[in-house]
Amino acid sequence: MDSAQTTALIQTVAQGLLTGGLYALIGTGLSLIFGVMRVINFAHGDFLAIGMFITLALFRAFDLDPYFSLLVAAPVGFALGFLIQRVVLARLGDRLSEASMLATLGLGLIISNTLLLTFGAQPQNINVAYATQTVQLGGVQLSIPLIVAGLGTLVSIAALNFVLYRTELGRAIRATAQNPLGAELQGVKTAHIQAIVFGMGVAFAAIAGVLLMPLLYAFPTVGENYTTKAFIVTVLGGLGNLPGAVVGGLVLGVIESLGAFYVSNNYRDAYGLVAFLLVLLLRPEGLFGKTVKRV
Amino acid sequence: MTAALTPARPRALTFGNVWLSVALLAVMALYPMVFGKTLNFGVSTLIFAGLAMSWNILGGWAGQISLGHAALLGMGAYTMTILATPERVPAFFGGPVAPWWGALIGMGIAALLALVWGGLTFRLRGSYFTLSTIAVALVLRLVAINSDWTGGSEGLFMPELPRFLGFDLFERRTEYWLAFAFVALTLLITHLIRRSRLGYALQAVREDEDGARALGIDPTRMKVIAFVISAALTALGGALYAVYLQAFEPHTLLELPISVQIALMAIIGGRGSIQGPAIGAILLAVFGEVFRNVFANANLLIYGVLILVVTLFAPNGIMGLFRRGGNKLGTAR
Repeated sequence: MDSAQTTALIQTVAQGLLTGGLYALIGTGLSLIFGVMRVINFAHGDFLAIGMFITLALFRAFDLDPYFSLLVAAPVGFALGFLIQRVVLARLGDRLSEASMLATLGLGLIISNTLLLTFGAQPQNINVAYATQTVQLGGVQLSIPLIVAGLGTLVSIAALNFVLYRTELGRAIRATAQNPLGAELQGVKTAHIQAIVFGMGVAFAAIAGVLLMPLLYAFPTVGENYTTKAFIVTVLGGLGNLPGAVVGGLVLGVIESLGAFYVSNNYRDAYGLVAFLLVLLLRPEGLFGKTVKRV
Repeated sequence: MTAALTPARPRALTFGNVWLSVALLAVMALYPMVFGKTLNFGVSTLIFAGLAMSWNILGGWAGQISLGHAALLGMGAYTMTILATPERVPAFFGGPVAPWWGALIGMGIAALLALVWGGLTFRLRGSYFTLSTIAVALVLRLVAINSDWTGGSEGLFMPELPRFLGFDLFERRTEYWLAFAFVALTLLITHLIRRSRLGYALQAVREDEDGARALGIDPTRMKVIAFVISAALTALGGALYAVYLQAFEPHTLLELPISVQIALMAIIGGRGSIQGPAIGAILLAVFGEVFRNVFANANLLIYGVLILVVTLFAPNGIMGLFRRGGNKLGTAR
């Protein structure tokens, strides 16, 4: 392998890792929700789309720099998730694990079609100066929005870990995940905790949407693709396994980049799906199921 | 569909159930005479009613939610069309294959796919099957978009087709009666399954997998059989839909929303009931048509709202609302 090829490989892997960071962020939200409530959120990508469109709307209305939208999108996502858990999912009772799939599927349709009515079907983007800029790092070119997205992911996941392992709320969340009834008996208001967790999961999706906006076009059904990515990430890492979701995201990003570069860009989305199917069939507990501690 | 093993059941109940199917078919048979000008709507509605009932064999009776049935629909449509097109048909066939034989081959391929796919994934419990259906359908969609023999993203045009028993297949009236026959066939098969050993085994597996196993039922085997039947019927519907469309591309047949639509029709109508999916499909088609004028292309909004309402307030769908006390239509729930 000559040096040009090596640089190309490093470039591909680096890009894959940064994209994978975003996948990790999306997957972490989904995995957190599953880990605590056993709910597979089929509207996850649509919450990401909400994050994108909030960014778009604020940019159009106030010329607000996309990254400042985080201050709006994250709380809105949290509130939305909290409300949905309280108003919809909490009412499903003991039918939760099965019926939540249908309920979130319905919510996803409501969200994507409302976005369609509000913003139209046309893909839209925002023009910021740094959207297409890159930095050189030892011969490797990396786009600035992708680096910011990678940093954003790091900060978000670090914050989540802090909350989970250093705060009283985190103890309550972990207790609820491990044994809801036991936690309730110890005075944990599990219904409240579940609403908070759903809110956090949705906020993560919305944050990912904001971070993606400078890189992508927003359109109402953009979430569909990311719901699938989130599923892939969580299954790769093991359903409900948070560190697994991070590794799963990075693995997915790298698989996609390498496949697109060395095989064919047309099948970019297929590599992850095939990996997903293989893991589903061969190791349903996830690639790292046995070796990594669960939430 | 083994020999009917009919336990004692209130006779009137069983008849009532069959009569509902007969009534449904009678309404469908009268449609072309009353609404002769809107046959397009009639044909597509009937095809989706049949598809929803095919989905229900797996999703309702076996309780395995598939969100990948678009792949099976596409399997029927693509196989039939490719085999009927002179310049696309593999040399091995020595010339274009009549659409009805093509549809049968498509059904066979779909059934084979379901056999392998179900055999692999039904060993896992929980949501894994649903997740796998999404992935399999998306992979097949990518293949259809990127291959030459599927016409890529441009899709396929229907070639000249031979006449079917003397009828022109491109005439809406012929298509209507074919769609009617498709619905009648799926209804008949659902009725047969319900009264068969397989039907009872499926319900047992759905309600309590371990309990069913203790009774000597092999849950994986039962689910696979249901999946194979469901897949073959869906592919048949796909072939019919392709004739109706006359030209199609991956986007019209293979996208996730199509799979979701088929599943939601069955769920909203009533999973595990016999006529529920057909009623759900008709209802949603009418709603969709009405709301198309209000919401333009956002007409799936109404699906979202309905599915939420049904999940929250009518877990057994519209048919479930009519099911009170002992008057159970179809399931033991």
